[in-house]
Amino acid sequence: MQILARTSGFLALLSCLAALALVQVNAAVVHAADSGDVDFLSDAYYDEEPETISVYDPLEPMNRAIFTFNDRAYFWVLKPVATGYAHVLPWEVRGCVSNFFNNLQEPVRFVNCLLQARFSDAGRVLARFLINSTGGVFGLADPATRDLDIPPVDASLGQTLGRWGIGDGFYLVMPLFGSTTLRDFSGTVVDALAMTPYYSWSDDFVVNAGIYAEKEVNKISLHLGEYEDLKELSFDPYISLRNAYFQHRMRLRDKDVPFPDE
Amino acid sequence: MKRLPFLSLFLLLFLVPVSGRAATATVPDPTAQMRPFVAKITNLLRNEDFKNDPKCERCQKIINIAKEHFDFREMSKRVLGRQWRRLSPEQKDKFVTLFTRLLQYAYIGKIKDYAGQQVEFTGQRIRGRRAEVKTLLVDRDKTIPVSYIMLLKGDQWMTYDVVVEGVSLVRNYMEQFREILRRDKYAGLLKKLEEKVKQLEQEKLQEATRPAPAG
Repeated sequence: MQILARTSGFLALLSCLAALALVQVNAAVVHAADSGDVDFLSDAYYDEEPETISVYDPLEPMNRAIFTFNDRAYFWVLKPVATGYAHVLPWEVRGCVSNFFNNLQEPVRFVNCLLQARFSDAGRVLARFLINSTGGVFGLADPATRDLDIPPVDASLGQTLGRWGIGDGFYLVMPLFGSTTLRDFSGTVVDALAMTPYYSWSDDFVVNAGIYAEKEVNKISLHLGEYEDLKELSFDPYISLRNAYFQHRMRLRDKDVPFPDE
Repeated sequence: MKRLPFLSLFLLLFLVPVSGRAATATVPDPTAQMRPFVAKITNLLRNEDFKNDPKCERCQKIINIAKEHFDFREMSKRVLGRQWRRLSPEQKDKFVTLFTRLLQYAYIGKIKDYAGQQVEFTGQRIRGRRAEVKTLLVDRDKTIPVSYIMLLKGDQWMTYDVVVEGVSLVRNYMEQFREILRRDKYAGLLKKLEEKVKQLEQEKLQEATRPAPAG
């Protein structure tokens, strides 16, 4: 009997240890789910109730109409133009154009970093702007990323407003602009207005529209085929793109907005 | 009899560290398993022997290699969410077969686009039987982060989700399927899936019969 009691005591001890280990594992899983981070290793990420992952999209009929318009605009106008453009200019040149426009936006990113109290990121953005504007010849090259390992920082007013506690509002699809939300689009408009000093040498609408068109066509020429892939394999391209937009945005902001402090 | 407490203490002290060590030793390294898989695929893609390959024997080879490393059943289960539990075993099998074919066409469609892109392994994390292997697909003018989410089956890490630039393939399909399930129920989803697979199959056939473009 004594042996039996002792053995069962031993077993009880073992099962306690096992239980403890399980509780710890569960706690880790629960914690990961609670923190709101994207964690692909957690089942909670896949098991969420439909209501909680669905995006607030009250304007879906209007958004779908604009989505269809954008789809046509892409296949009938933008894609042929961007394809021709890509044939004329080698990808190295198009990369430079993309770097150039990207560099012009660094001051706006700098201000947004400050507004979000991301001071080390602000320093990084400033360093990138100074290095790329000089060593990169007006921002045509990106030696900050390539040689000095200072990768681009994502910061926009939409993000700033989000950090200040302002919600997304709802999902929006804008003509020729694409996926955004009410908050982010408002931020984009203000960010774009903040860029006007660059264009002060020309208040001609046609010239400014031309610059914008060049920037967009150049961007599309570097991403030809990506929308086609998404569309070919999806059952509802509208939902697929909406979902991809939110997932991608979450990754960008997770990576670049460390909470609470670095 | 008096020795028994000592014996159990001895066993406890001895067994726990051993089993602990054994547990870490038996978990294979996910990146180490992923490397040869990626190498096999890129070697096949680089292989010049397949330049004139109208029946696409290479496609079948790639599918066979993928089957060893991808858990299409686990993927199907996650993509359907709660609907999965309501299906009969036969329905489950049918869905897995269809969804697998859809994904195969997705990847086979990409074969012709391959232009020597490199895969760099940038890190991994393991939690229990789950692992994430992070890679970078390096193209000439851009790098695309791709993560493989895996589950340990026996001693083999099996991928059940692919995350491209933060976008989970499973989550993306899940949201699309949920809308279809709400509107058209499971029967409607199955019909859409069958149509899509058929459409991709025909496109592939047309491509195979068309003469290859120069260069």
